[in-house]
Order: sequence, then structure tokens, then C-alpha cells
Amino acid sequence: MKLEVSGVGKDYLIPVIDSVSFAVEPGEFLCLLGPNGCGKTTLLRIIGGLEPATRGRVILDGRPVVFEQWHDRKVGVVFQEDRLLPWQTLRDNVALVLTPFGRPAAERLATADRYLNLVGLGGFEDYYPGRVSGGMRQRAAIARALAIEPDLLLMDEPFGALDAQNRRIMQNEVRRIWRQTGRTIVFVTHAIEEAVAIGTTLVMLSARPARVREAIRNDGRVERAKLIDDLNTMIMEEVERQQGGGPLGG
Amino acid sequence: MAAVVVAGWWLLSLRYGAYVLPSPGAVARGAAEIVATGEIWRHTGASLARIAVGFGGAVLAAVLLALLAFLSRLVRGVVHDLVAVLNSTSVFVWIVISIIWFGLSNWAPIFTTFMITLPVVASNLVEGVASVDRRLLEMGDVYRLSGRQKFTAIVVPSTLPYLVAGMKIGFGLALKVSVVAEIFGVTSGIGYVMNYSREILATQMVFVWALVMIGVMTLTDKLVFDMVSRRLMRWR
Repeated sequence: MKLEVSGVGKDYLIPVIDSVSFAVEPGEFLCLLGPNGCGKTTLLRIIGGLEPATRGRVILDGRPVVFEQWHDRKVGVVFQEDRLLPWQTLRDNVALVLTPFGRPAAERLATADRYLNLVGLGGFEDYYPGRVSGGMRQRAAIARALAIEPDLLLMDEPFGALDAQNRRIMQNEVRRIWRQTGRTIVFVTHAIEEAVAIGTTLVMLSARPARVREAIRNDGRVERAKLIDDLNTMIMEEVERQQGGGPLGG
Repeated sequence: MAAVVVAGWWLLSLRYGAYVLPSPGAVARGAAEIVATGEIWRHTGASLARIAVGFGGAVLAAVLLALLAFLSRLVRGVVHDLVAVLNSTSVFVWIVISIIWFGLSNWAPIFTTFMITLPVVASNLVEGVASVDRRLLEMGDVYRLSGRQKFTAIVVPSTLPYLVAGMKIGFGLALKVSVVAEIFGVTSGIGYVMNYSREILATQMVFVWALVMIGVMTLTDKLVFDMVSRRLMRWR
């Protein structure tokens, strides 16, 4: 699966995203970084076809993504919130998204169990979301996204609501799952350490209206500590620019 | 506590006499009597049957209205206005109108019950439909669930608690309202027998039937609605 984002921009009342272009190769783990409120989530939603772009195009394997239209490539999304149905067990939550594929119920449940097991929720299949921790709910949301065997997996600050310890654990888990499944992932975060720890490519967006400030290959050639330092400097510059950028800044 | 209340009641009944305030003993004897003669079942049954038709019809109509409101923005506005108008109409208006339309028959209390409980159940349901979490529906879009799948997996379960809450309030109201409507033109039911007891100066029976009403209300609340809510909320 190859993803191309070319010249994508978005205006609400003011331009939020100016023009963003980058490409994601199959099997890549791309982290989208940037100051808060720079339009990272909006960009991810445009890529997922959940929102129309004002300008530019998103192309998945040669075919454009159009708002509210089916694309023949499967896209899984993990939102900032788990978005599990509270009245269904974890197993049923995962099995639910398999119904459009028209396979028998027993097979759907078996697939759900397999992916719940993959994210470390074996034994919790019959629990309701309200009975497990936030970290476990977010794992279930990841299992749900993986269960459809997506060509592209979009994750929007999925660990934002977790405490530091759970966050660390989940970062390792996602990295392990990525290695194990070979999915193409676009992961939005504002935490630099997180991006450096898990991404293979880091795209830093500028302050609003967003452009690509820097795209970096995270292949270990640059030392981690230095990379984190550089990115921190960049993000602080962008945060300052955003705050000085008018009445809507900050 | 209960003993103090009964003792106070007894003392007051001595002071005011059996017509104004019958003694606890007289009320207890009256209760035993209607149980022995089976009158309790005949009249409670008659009231409940009318409620079943009137209130049952109101629940069905409310579900239908909520469905239409869910599907069409235009209907949503109409339902909203309709509920507002019905909510501000007095019970007595419906009793008088139903006597004019249906004469002195079973349909008068049934129609009155229907008109009074419809807005209560409908407004709860419409509110429930409106409060369905958009983020869950968007999740359904992401995973390409069909309209029907989204309806059964997301809309129905998030609306059910509102329906049960509306039915709980609606049923209490139905019991109170149908009993008032039964004063006119029917010859069975708790409302009829209470009014009849008053006419033959058997005040103790008015008290007995009032207690029967309270009993029916408490029992349905505890046995039916609380159980249903618990079952629906078992995931909490």
C-alpha cells in the first residue's frame, strides 16, 4: 500500500492547513508531529476520508480518497478515544466491524479473539469496556482496527489519555504489532519521544497554517538524543510562531 | 416510624369521625373484604387493561414518531412542536373531549391515557435519539457498517435507556390519569370504584383503593422497570 498526500490544505474560517505533501511507502511507520492545534488530526481525518480537503489530493495505491465515498483499500482508524460500544463485550466490539465482510458469525468471533490475543487481551474477551482500564480499552480499539486487516492504519494520538507508564507499554506494543503484521501506519502525536521511539519516518508540521517543516528518516543514523533535541527545538520555534500568529494563536 | 404514623392516624380518626377520616382498623377490614370478594382483582384488572391499551398505544406511537424523527429533519421539528403542545394540555381537556368523541365508554379513559402519556414517552425517546454519540456513528462509518447495522448496534442500544425511563414515568402517569378518567361513564376500574365508594359514604373504601393504587405503582416500578433497567445496564 502506498499513500501519497499531495498539496493537501484545509480552510475552516481561517486556513488551518496551508499545503502538506509527503509519501508513505508500504510497511512504513510514519509519525506526524507538530505543535498542538496545527491541524494534525484534521490531516489524518482527510487521509481517512472522514473530512473533505479544501485543496490537494490524497492517493491510496493510485486511487484518490474522496470524502464519504468507498475506497477499495481498507483503512483502520484508532481515534483519540477508544470509541468502543459500551454495551458490547470486547469480543463483540471487534467482531462488529467484521460484519460488512459477510463471513459467518463463528469465523468473525474467532478472528476477534485472535486479534484481542495479539494486543494482549487474551482472557478479557467477555469483558465490557467499562470493566477494563483505559489502556486495555485502547488496546481493544487497536485490535478492532487490525481485525479488518487494513491496508492503512491511522492512529490519532491513541495514547493521549493514558498515564506515562501505560503509554510506554503501549508504544512498545504498537511497535511489536507493526513488526508482526507489517501494516502501513500513520501515527499522529505531539510527543517527540514517542515519535522517535516508534516511527520509521518523522514528519514535523509547522505552526498553523501547517506545512511540512521537516521530514526525517528515523533509521538510527542520527543519534536518538540529538534527534529528540533537534525536534524539540523545532517544535518550540513553531509553538512560538503559532502563539505570535494572531488572535486565534495558541 | 410506621407505628407512630398509624397511632397518629387512629387518634385523628377518633377526633374527626369515620366519614372524614376512617380508622386504620376500618381500612384494614375494607382491604381484607375486597381481597376476599375478589373485587380487588376485578377493578385493578379493568384499570390495568385500559392502561395496557392506552399506554401501550402511546409507547408504540412514540417509537414510530422517534423513528421518523431520526430519519427526517422535517419530522423532528414537527414532533418537537407536537410534544410541546401535548405536554401543556390539561388532563381534563382530554377527558371532556374523549367523552364527546367516544361517549361514556372504555375508550374515554383509554384515549385520555394515550394523549397524556404520548408526549412523555415521545420526548424521552426523541432526546435519546438526539443524544446518540456522533463519534460512535463515525466509527461505524470508518468500518463501513451499513445503515441497518449502525441502527441496531449503535442507535437502538443508546436509546433504550431513554425509552425505559420514559415508560417508567409514563406508566405512573397513566395510572393516575386513567383513574381520573374512570370517574366518568364506566362501571369498573379503581377510579370508578373510588368515586362510587364516596357516593355511598364508604370513605374507608376510598382509602383502601388509594392504597391499592400505591401498591400497583410500587410493584410495577420495582418488579418491571427496575428489573428491565438493570438488565439493560448490565454492562455498566
